[in-house]
Amino acid sequence: MSESYDPEKETFMGVPRKKIPWWPTIDYVKCNFCMECDKFCPHDVYARIEGEEKKLIVKNQYNCVVFCRTCAKTCAPDALSFPNKREITKLIKKFRSENK
Amino acid sequence: MDKKLCVLPCNGIDKSLGVVARTVALKLIEKEPEMNLICPVLLNTSDERYETILKESNIVIIDGCMTRCATKLVDERNQKIFKRIFIPAMSKQFKIKPGTNLELNENGQKLAEKISIEIIKELKASEYDEISIEKKLEEFDFYEITVDKYYFQVPKDGYFFNENDCWVKPNGNTALIGISDYLQNRVSDIMFVELPKVGTEIEQFDDVGSFESVKTVLDLISPCSGRIISVNKDLKEHPEWMNQDPYRKGWFAELELKNFDEDWELLMDGSGYFKYMKETITKEKEEMDFKN
Ligand code: SF4
Ligand code: SF4
Repeated sequence: MSESYDPEKETFMGVPRKKIPWWPTIDYVKCNFCMECDKFCPHDVYARIEGEEKKLIVKNQYNCVVFCRTCAKTCAPDALSFPNKREITKLIKKFRSENK
Repeated sequence: MDKKLCVLPCNGIDKSLGVVARTVALKLIEKEPEMNLICPVLLNTSDERYETILKESNIVIIDGCMTRCATKLVDERNQKIFKRIFIPAMSKQFKIKPGTNLELNENGQKLAEKISIEIIKELKASEYDEISIEKKLEEFDFYEITVDKYYFQVPKDGYFFNENDCWVKPNGNTALIGISDYLQNRVSDIMFVELPKVGTEIEQFDDVGSFESVKTVLDLISPCSGRIISVNKDLKEHPEWMNQDPYRKGWFAELELKNFDEDWELLMDGSGYFKYMKETITKEKEEMDFKN
């Protein structure tokens, strides 16, 4: 139906979203599968998998809003981590300058 | 202002922006003859020459490039600073490019004139000690759009945005930051704010404090780098101002800018953000329609 929404064409600051490695990483040693992060995130980044040992995964990583890390605040055991913002900013700048 | 004022330009004569710095200083002296002019070369070679003046004055520092020679000259002193001006940032703010010619062209003159007027304005305002209130409540022209029952505004000038729906409104070397009308609409009634600490150094896109609405908690993602110099404490009592007047009364924090010249390259102006916002709203609407 919609013509404008195409995940392949999603960009952030003019850079294809798929070129920006920004999403949460779950530390399965710490995670207790309380699912608070998934309940919090409105962008459908996480997915719950019934019957698996890893009951929660990062499924739609490119849905994660670049520079957002709010769900980490809901995680009591501190199991979520994100890339370094400086590195990501550098990468965005680099891509933009190479593709002017 | 209880003290006298003096002005120190970098006077870089090898770059047009340095020449602008020098011209701004000369224009200031012309407009405010009481002000003392400090020659950076003389200050560097025999600093006792200016000892009394510096002790008795607040200083306006004007740098033409990132080497920040003028700033460095006073860095180690315990000098009271009234304002620091970074010419490249001002050039962007006023959208006037002086070119590279060392003999200032018309644009260069225009830029120097605008900056000097700006400084004088601030000087006058600070005499009445109302500077912050004035600049926070300025009227503005805006773009507007209504989608279903929602109405969105974006200021046309003076504000810059990141793709995380936060704005920065630079004013010389300082800036206010806050959230956009779109974001306040999305999160709906804001009930609680957690303001950053004054003095915190932040990089562009760092989280600076957060706000909590009936629906969610979000961080404010700073559009620029700098040091927090004040926060809007009134939001503790009136978090709803972020909903009612997100571009003015709902400002979040004030920063001393660090590298706006570079930060700016990753930001959108009012018209750019308006376009971006409209696209986001359309996309969301399509997704909603699709789900329903
Ligand atoms: S960082 Fe934000 S967008 Fe990304 S998964 Fe967490 S809440 Fe969702
Ligand atoms: S909030 Fe933390 S502990 Fe809970 S499921 Fe998410 S990652 Fe695991």
